[in-house]
Amino acid sequence: MGQNSAIRRYQSHPGGQGMDLFASKDGRLPIVVELLKSPWLFKGSDLLEEHDAGIGKKREAPVAVAWDERRARPAEFTLDARSYRIDEVVQVWAVERFWWDPRRRISRRVWRVLAKGGTYDLAYDRLLCRWMLVGIQD
Amino acid sequence: MTESFVHLHTHSRFSFGDGACDLDDLLARTCELGMSVCALTDHQGLYGAIRFYQKALSAGLTPIIGAEVAVESAAHAAFGEPVSFTPFRTGSGRAAGSGWHLTLLARDLTGYRNLCRLLSRMHVRSGDAPSIAGIEDLKALSEGIIALSGCRNGEAATAIRSGQTARARDALTVLASCFAPGDFYVELVHDLTPHAPRVINTLVSLADSLGLPIAATNNVHYVRREDARVHDVLSSAGARMRLPGPYDRPNSELWFKPAREMRELFAGLERACDETVRIAKRCELDLELGSFHFPGATLPAGETAYSVLSKLAWKGAERRYRPMTPEVLRRLEYELSVIGRLGFPEYFLVVNEIVEFAKGEGIRCSGRGSAGDSIVTYCLGITDADPIAHELLFERFLNPERRQMPDIDVDFDSARRDEVIDFIYRRFGDEHVAMVATVNTMTARSAVRTVARAFGHPPAGIDALSRYLPWVAASRIREALAEYPECRDHPLRNAEHSLLLDVVEQLDGCPMHLGTHLGGFIITREPIDTWMPLQWAAKGVVVSQYDKDDIEALGLVKMDILGLRMHSAISETLELARARTGPEGVPEPFELTPDDPAVYAKIARADTVGMFQLESSGQRNLSRRLAPTRFEDIIAQISLFRPGPLEAEMITPFIRRRHGIEPVEVPHPGMEEPLRDSYGVIVYQEQVLLVARAVAGFDLAEADSLRRAMTRGRSRAEMDSIRAHFIERACERGVGIETAEEVFRQLEGFAAYGFNKAHAACFAVVSYASAWLKTYYPAEFATAIMNNQPMGFYTPRHVVEDARAHGVEILPVHVNESLADYTVERDGRAMRVGFRDVRDMTQRLRDTIVAERSKRPFRDLADFLRRTRAESPATSALIRVGAFDGLGITAQDRTPTRDELIALLPELKAVLARDGVAGDDVLCLAPVPARPVEDPTHPSGWSSARRLSAELEVLGLSLTCHPLSLARQDLERREVVYARDLPLMPDGSKVRVCGVRERAQTPRTRSGRRTCFLTLEDATGLLDVVVFEDVLARVGDVIVKHRCYLVEGTLQNNSERGLAVIARSVEAYRIRTDGGQDVRLRHGVPSGPMGSSIGGAGAPEEDSWTIAS
Repeated sequence: MGQNSAIRRYQSHPGGQGMDLFASKDGRLPIVVELLKSPWLFKGSDLLEEHDAGIGKKREAPVAVAWDERRARPAEFTLDARSYRIDEVVQVWAVERFWWDPRRRISRRVWRVLAKGGTYDLAYDRLLCRWMLVGIQD
Repeated sequence: MTESFVHLHTHSRFSFGDGACDLDDLLARTCELGMSVCALTDHQGLYGAIRFYQKALSAGLTPIIGAEVAVESAAHAAFGEPVSFTPFRTGSGRAAGSGWHLTLLARDLTGYRNLCRLLSRMHVRSGDAPSIAGIEDLKALSEGIIALSGCRNGEAATAIRSGQTARARDALTVLASCFAPGDFYVELVHDLTPHAPRVINTLVSLADSLGLPIAATNNVHYVRREDARVHDVLSSAGARMRLPGPYDRPNSELWFKPAREMRELFAGLERACDETVRIAKRCELDLELGSFHFPGATLPAGETAYSVLSKLAWKGAERRYRPMTPEVLRRLEYELSVIGRLGFPEYFLVVNEIVEFAKGEGIRCSGRGSAGDSIVTYCLGITDADPIAHELLFERFLNPERRQMPDIDVDFDSARRDEVIDFIYRRFGDEHVAMVATVNTMTARSAVRTVARAFGHPPAGIDALSRYLPWVAASRIREALAEYPECRDHPLRNAEHSLLLDVVEQLDGCPMHLGTHLGGFIITREPIDTWMPLQWAAKGVVVSQYDKDDIEALGLVKMDILGLRMHSAISETLELARARTGPEGVPEPFELTPDDPAVYAKIARADTVGMFQLESSGQRNLSRRLAPTRFEDIIAQISLFRPGPLEAEMITPFIRRRHGIEPVEVPHPGMEEPLRDSYGVIVYQEQVLLVARAVAGFDLAEADSLRRAMTRGRSRAEMDSIRAHFIERACERGVGIETAEEVFRQLEGFAAYGFNKAHAACFAVVSYASAWLKTYYPAEFATAIMNNQPMGFYTPRHVVEDARAHGVEILPVHVNESLADYTVERDGRAMRVGFRDVRDMTQRLRDTIVAERSKRPFRDLADFLRRTRAESPATSALIRVGAFDGLGITAQDRTPTRDELIALLPELKAVLARDGVAGDDVLCLAPVPARPVEDPTHPSGWSSARRLSAELEVLGLSLTCHPLSLARQDLERREVVYARDLPLMPDGSKVRVCGVRERAQTPRTRSGRRTCFLTLEDATGLLDVVVFEDVLARVGDVIVKHRCYLVEGTLQNNSERGLAVIARSVEAYRIRTDGGQDVRLRHGVPSGPMGSSIGGAGAPEEDSWTIAS
């Protein structure tokens, strides 16, 4: 919800952009975050099915998450024995559906995070009291 | 204000299907969260606004009143952009509309009035125009209104979600132009969905670029997160869908969040939260509750309302009182001065205008309630009980110490009530009159059906889950299932329905939809839509969105134009009797001196079926014990069998003292005179005033304030203060402190339970009239009662049985004799059943039969079908109840049996359909195979059991005989005692009785125990059975699921408690004739859950009823 300051500060090369768009990771992250949060950039899939919106590649797998108590957000997660430090929380949303049907009931809070250059959707399942990876966007 | 956030967009249950906030819960939560302001913005209306406003003020909160309205597409209206989406349909019933959401808040009284006008303009359009606001409407009526651009279903938010940012900009531009600068805000809702941040960011960008302020809301639909499921169920029910319902919301985040959470959600956009506080500060609506607003009365030039009222009252006094006594003069002068001082003359004149119109048109009417305490209303002819003769006190009606809106209720002839309503609309104008609304709320039964439907149960499953449920509040469903015997095998007891029951409990008292009050009209001086929103009711009249309490709170005049079927029955009895005896043959019963011993003897015999207010089984029981002999006794009888006097155990001492069983004693001699008529028992509210005056020297206004202060709900401290004041005043007059304390104890005990004597006196006039007509014109009276059903305490079947017991011959329905209504025949000795109660009969067919028969009688079934084109179901019903008995001829040279007619019916219909005519001799030419004749002695060929079953099913009546008459031998073998013999048996006798059900009631008892009062009927009359809790626990399911019972128990037959059977066991009884044929009771005899109202007889005083609320 900022003023896109990182994007505005980006040094473009009108004569021809190099293969590396960003000189460093530090320069890339704020721009990616601003792009992901921007009102004018969104995926076509968002327009189709609201409940699945933004999930990208679907993948559901248990995941271990380290919780940052102070900031009340996930700090790190471990997937397939690899550890991912969370650089930024892009977005948070909640899913609460089918409460009347024990077999289909879903109660989750989802954090879309940036880590190691990818976007991951980490969901805390309130019914099972465990973390799940529910989406990956490269 | 220390707020950091104010919820400006909140839906309560008055959003009817899209909101689950209970108002009390919402306001309690507001306080709990430390907020001091809360807004209410229900869909398409202000249904809950007034009660919300009052409750909020009582809780020390600042209320903001608003609504979320559906608006036409701003972008389309202004720029002609195509309508690419159809918005959700919001609102309920005739106020629903498909439009883009816009949140409107009333900034001040001007804004409130404009909001009312806007909503009324949306809803009350001609034809089927949609209930949405036009852009031009918004422009015209935006003064004083603050608007928020709407939730995710607002036009801008929807456009952004669909990628049409330009359209969103256009919509915001147009909407903003409708309101004063600074009064339109871009609404931001972060509902924790994946889209929310993107939509918010775009809206903020657009707002910034357009120079519009932003405001954050949470579009609150429920108070706590866990209440979301109630909301889902309500929205599913509103749309008649199964879950997830029409909105299919992805989460449960639309709850009343604390300010801290709201600010966290809008981190980086704190100004959106700050703005909510600023908006709240700008909203300063004062509805000026407590002032009165009367419609204009017609006043001649140079006159005031007071002068006109005075002249009318004095003129009326000359007519009512001959000679006019000094007491009348003093009283009338005093009342007029009080009415003038309080500013109420116009109200009296308006009521008088309406009553005068009715009387001028010959429409029977009578005032009721505390208005009967006034000599002014009596002189104007609004009420008919003399307040001087009956010691009725004006202060009970209008207390000069308290300026409260007077309430004059008038009952009109139900059949002609529409004429009165037409007059009101003509006289005051359509723009100044509307009907009062009612809000229908959920009980356990309706809540179960609502939740089961949302859970996707099939219709048969929903019926199974709600069948046999008692009439209890939804919050008590688990208790009822666990404890009520009729629920012993109920499917809801299965563990699988636990979640369903959880939701049902939460739906307790939830508003379901807006209804129309039976007779309440609001009349205003200014156009009524400046006071309240209006809409079409389902029945096609314009109705306010407010109920009677809201109207009263606003200080507006509400007139109850109530239809009283007894008035219609009395008028019709007179008409029928005068048709037989001549116009002068029957006097006007309201003008009779109420002193006819034959009438009182009839009441004392409990022969009161059909009599107004005296017919219930409880009243019949009281009739025997009281044995009334004068008009005051009828007033006492009406007053005593009420929840208050019953709870205060007034009946037993009253009866004992009346019959000299115990002495009349009062603690202070000053009480003797006020309590003379009630033998020292405080029965009437008016007596509380008189006693306070006599003992403590209170004037009547002070005494009425004391009475009101003594009503229930007072804290101990408040009551102690009242007591100290009373005793001090009494002691100042030389009353001993012990005596003063005893008098106060009695007043305290009875003040809350006493009945308004004026109300009883007004009713007693009608009661006596009905009793007099029943005494002297039984056939006409019974006929009129049948023609004005539904009315009274008993089933139509019992009314007919009662007429028969009084020697009135009951003639069956017949195509060549009956009219649509019941008629009197044989010089007042017989009643002919009309077509109105025959199942499947249409109005067309009834009219056609009568019209054709006036040419010549029907010769046979073929002739009937050819001339009337009657539908098969109705014809079949007529055949089954013997309406063709004796008509036609068969090849065997006899009249056809009912079976032959039924078999022939399809053939005749086919011939008619093919050829257009059917020969008169079809029966001879085409005999049909039919069942063998059961009873050759009867022209129908049917046995009496079959005839009776058909009558019960088709007419709901038992014309052939009483159902139990057919089981006489079996009953005698079982040594069953008949109702007529019970009064002759000694108290304490062991008896076995049998009867079909008339009523079954389980009113709440003071002890909390559940007792069923069962009114049964056997072939000789009515009998009352009391089933106490221990027995009810065993037999409750039998009572609910069956229609006829065999009861064993102990006879109670004494003057203190009257006549009743105290049940020891209740079994279902299957009526079977001596020949082994079953009698089916369906339709004619009720079954199902036990009711909750009072009316049962035989209750011991210590287990008397509390007020059924």
